[in-house]
Amino acid sequence: MPSDEKAPVKLSLPLEFQQDIFKELREEDELVLIARGLGVLRIVSNLLHSYDAAGNNLILLVGAEERENVWIGEALAEHAAISMAPKARGLSLVNTDLMSVGTREKIYAQGGIFSITSRILIVDFLSGLMNPETVTGVVVLHAEKVIATSLEAFILRIYRQKNKAGFLKAFSDQPEPFTTGFAPLANMMKNLFLQKPALYPRFHVTVAKSLEGRKKAEVIELEVPMTEAMRDIQNAVLECVEVSISELRKGNTGVEMDDWTLDSALHRNFDTIIRRQLDPVWHRTSFKTRQVVRDLTLLRTILHALLTYDAVNFNKYLDTVLAASQPPPGSTKHNQSPWLFLDAADTIFTTAKRRVYTGKVSNDDLVSNPNTVPDSLEPVLEEFPKWTQLAEILQEIEQDAYLNPVPNDTSNGSVLIMCGDQGTCRQLREFLQTMYVRPEGTVEDGTDEDEEQGPSASFMMRRKLRNYLAWKRDFSKVSAALFSENQKAINGSTDQRVQSGKANRPPPNKRRRMRGGGSAGSGPSRTEMGTVRVAGDRDAHIASLMAELQPTEVEAMQKIEIGVDPLENMDDYYELFDMNDLIVIHPYEGDMDEHVLEETKPRYVIMYEPDAAFIRRIEVYRSSHTDRTVKVFFMYYGGSVEEQRYLSAVRREKDAFTKLIRERGNMAITLTSAALGPQESFLRTINTRIAGGGRLAATAQPPRVVVDVREFRSSLPSLLHGRSIVVVPCMLTVGDYVLTPTICIERKSVRDLIGSFANGRLYNQVESMMEHYKAPMLLIEFDQNKTFTLEPFSDLFAPTTTIGLAVAPDLQSKIVMLTLAFPRLKIIWSSSPYQTAEIFSELKKQQDEPDPLKAVQLGLDPAVAGDELRSFNQVPQDMLRAIPGMNENILTTLTLEVENIQELANMEERELVGLVGTDAARRIYRFFNRSVYDGAEVALPTL
Amino acid sequence: QALPSRSGPSSILVSPRQKGNPILNGVRTVAWEYSDIPADYVLGATTCALFLSLKYHRLHPEYIYNRIRDLRGQYSLRILLTMVDIENHEDSLRELSKTSLINNVTLMLCWSAQEAGRYLELFKTFEHAAPTSIRAQQSTSYSDKLVEFITVPRSINKTDAIGLVSNFGSIRTALNAGPEEVGLIAGWGEKKVQRWCNAAREPFRIKK
Repeated sequence: MPSDEKAPVKLSLPLEFQQDIFKELREEDELVLIARGLGVLRIVSNLLHSYDAAGNNLILLVGAEERENVWIGEALAEHAAISMAPKARGLSLVNTDLMSVGTREKIYAQGGIFSITSRILIVDFLSGLMNPETVTGVVVLHAEKVIATSLEAFILRIYRQKNKAGFLKAFSDQPEPFTTGFAPLANMMKNLFLQKPALYPRFHVTVAKSLEGRKKAEVIELEVPMTEAMRDIQNAVLECVEVSISELRKGNTGVEMDDWTLDSALHRNFDTIIRRQLDPVWHRTSFKTRQVVRDLTLLRTILHALLTYDAVNFNKYLDTVLAASQPPPGSTKHNQSPWLFLDAADTIFTTAKRRVYTGKVSNDDLVSNPNTVPDSLEPVLEEFPKWTQLAEILQEIEQDAYLNPVPNDTSNGSVLIMCGDQGTCRQLREFLQTMYVRPEGTVEDGTDEDEEQGPSASFMMRRKLRNYLAWKRDFSKVSAALFSENQKAINGSTDQRVQSGKANRPPPNKRRRMRGGGSAGSGPSRTEMGTVRVAGDRDAHIASLMAELQPTEVEAMQKIEIGVDPLENMDDYYELFDMNDLIVIHPYEGDMDEHVLEETKPRYVIMYEPDAAFIRRIEVYRSSHTDRTVKVFFMYYGGSVEEQRYLSAVRREKDAFTKLIRERGNMAITLTSAALGPQESFLRTINTRIAGGGRLAATAQPPRVVVDVREFRSSLPSLLHGRSIVVVPCMLTVGDYVLTPTICIERKSVRDLIGSFANGRLYNQVESMMEHYKAPMLLIEFDQNKTFTLEPFSDLFAPTTTIGLAVAPDLQSKIVMLTLAFPRLKIIWSSSPYQTAEIFSELKKQQDEPDPLKAVQLGLDPAVAGDELRSFNQVPQDMLRAIPGMNENILTTLTLEVENIQELANMEERELVGLVGTDAARRIYRFFNRSVYDGAEVALPTL
Repeated sequence: QALPSRSGPSSILVSPRQKGNPILNGVRTVAWEYSDIPADYVLGATTCALFLSLKYHRLHPEYIYNRIRDLRGQYSLRILLTMVDIENHEDSLRELSKTSLINNVTLMLCWSAQEAGRYLELFKTFEHAAPTSIRAQQSTSYSDKLVEFITVPRSINKTDAIGLVSNFGSIRTALNAGPEEVGLIAGWGEKKVQRWCNAAREPFRIKK
């Protein structure tokens, strides 16, 4: 323990490598990169406690997520209680929702450990609410996010400029981001103002010794085979992915895409990888490309859903997917996603359905005789192989516990089941609760049953199927109500539909799935004549299935709605066996899992899905408690995407660490980046254009820019500060940046630009700038890594007609309209935020400095008192904008008079009339209250 | 959309200086004719444009200033149509940004002759058009509005939106639903549920 402390500090770091890291960190500043699952938060909370106990500190925790704040807060309180440190204050949270400027100032003065949202911290630093010199030290979590232009890097720069003595420690448990780009580790170290990286991979000597030296945890690996149907669907999805990728290749010839292969599709994030690759040219890609990228995300979700949702829910999800993929109104079938036309897509949908129920009725039958009720439909209800496996394991555990009744250690004898998410938890809970309940009297159960009653999910599945069918009934109405307009639009374009249209489309309530016609459109190139899948099913199907599935007596007795667990709030566990034997089902939650292990002290752990970090956590847990034995069952589907993902995650982490170790070996050490001395900053303010140095210029103020606080999400304020311009954060109503008393700038990234043209916000923003400033400017800022052009790849130069343009104007036409509407508006085109910063200082040359007070007051509604009232939450605002009948006036009224979206939705039409007038009130009320089950109310007032 | 009758000539006026400029090949849907004018192009009664290639600008930096001076403050909207045809455009663009402020010209960038031609067309075409399509939300069908509304919070997509309303029947019930209920819908993971429920309950105004 360091000697400079009087207070006794008790730590909870039993393992050798944990102690090593702690000691190192107490001695010097460094970046700790540690493998996932080795408990980075435990080290952080111990470290914070050691400072906390000493008292008289102002320590900032930067970059912590909400969950981590809770974790650290609890851990600090616990530590303080254990070591009985009188000076410890625990963790204080600062985020906008809770604290005003005044309170913030007061609690900063008191000191302690603060976890502050970066955006607030930077504003407080810049506005002088918190003086960086008074800070004892900074602890950075998620150091992988501190890239050069990030807010965190900005914070650290200000901190280090003003404060050379305070400590600075950074942590990360994700090595992968540190390995991309040129000399990535060295660059990150520069951003973090640190010199020494400490790497702790799983194969580090001390780590390995700590975890493997003593008794190892007993692990039983179980490879569960997928069912035939599951494998079919997985292959079909992968085929769709492949086709989508080749479609992307075709559409974007200018982009490097050698590694867009099916192999990379098995990765966890193949959609994000492709998106990132397309990102530099995103604003130039065609509608089709964007659609395919969206499809890829969807396909990945389907792939995930296949392994986690039960057969019924999976089919239900696919139904929604199908409905959502209906083409937008007014468009032809050209715009349908290409993968939907594949045979593979057909396989996905039909196989998924066959897992739930089968019908022997052929397509022709239905066409010729649509009104018969086929009796031959029967539920299939395929179960997950993992369920049976799980039941077997539990049985084995039970036997084991019976044979060795007294645990000879301090663990609880409980069983911990870990799975991917809350949904799976819920599913497993229900399965375990009902696996011995039999739906008696049904045909297939009677025949298939052995005399010995094995566990089965049939009860649960039958209940789910009933729910599903009820839902399905409503759903066909929903899609009829929502998409009838689209259908009409499609039917209207008859020239497209010669082949598959069969002119007499049945009325919406009798629409059925057109199966079997898939051969007509087997390739994406033939989209015009492919079949259109129609969501919704024949009511007849449903009726017969409902009859089939009438709850039996046993089922009726189990009346409780099991889906929503009554114990939901009681830490997600319930009693299954007598005594203290518990089965706890829990989702993986990163570092929180450590707590789960500590609290449940399980003797058996079943990993329902593979997770590399959790295996390490068990290792840590096992080695930390020599007196506890743990038996681990590890389950995965053989040959599935799940297995592939697990393996590649492990491999990638190992590769990343190997690379990092190599780079650390030959990394150039950057010595302290020389901050500006007083003389230098004096020289900067001297204007060399005035001969002789000019007394006048030397006494001038340093350059100053007033920046809207919401702009701190972007990197520009940081870069302006880097060019030694004083950044004054303010709550601005008009504009984003005020450079001089006359120049006001609205900054738009290309993506924002498209968005704010679409909802009309930009027009209003420019209008108010025109009103208050002599030189309003629109800054169109491209990203550093994006191509500096607005030109689309292909589809622009088709001959356009005047009428076509007026109907669907593209980005360029909208900019033209804007300049025509506001001739005084100037446009700045900047290829990157770096470039913007240079342009700003160019514009500021020889100009007066802006007055922050005046900038804040401009454009404020005199009726609204105080500037604090003007701060709105962005998401609900954007949602309000999407409501029909909305305009800026109504928006302002509503945000001032109504608390939140929920309240607005629950308001009566009468109340709304009082606020916004009859017409808007009616439209808003109808928007919220219209029932989608009710197809009759389709007509909507047009503008 | 019928354009109101215009006062000026119905075609783009082109200065003879621009003869042979490839961007004229890009002007196809609007008629153009040569005329003796101080600007390079006259696109309307109060709109004119000067064309500048950055390649040329680097060689003759004084050229554009002379041209702007020759306009003698005529026209209220003066476009400086700039073709970015060099790699290191940063310095020139910075300088032009400053110029645009001082000399009251509006900078428009284009990256190819075709695009430049299209800009000329657009300026002429929209000469008298009202800026309705950028002014407010375009009205669309109920289902579009509904999907747009639900997909505002990040990571919620169209499939999720349809799953949501089809389970709850109307937006109001969907907004009133608790996290457990929303979580039961296929496709709605914890993050989405959280974001949706937060969006519904988050106050419009940030509390003091």
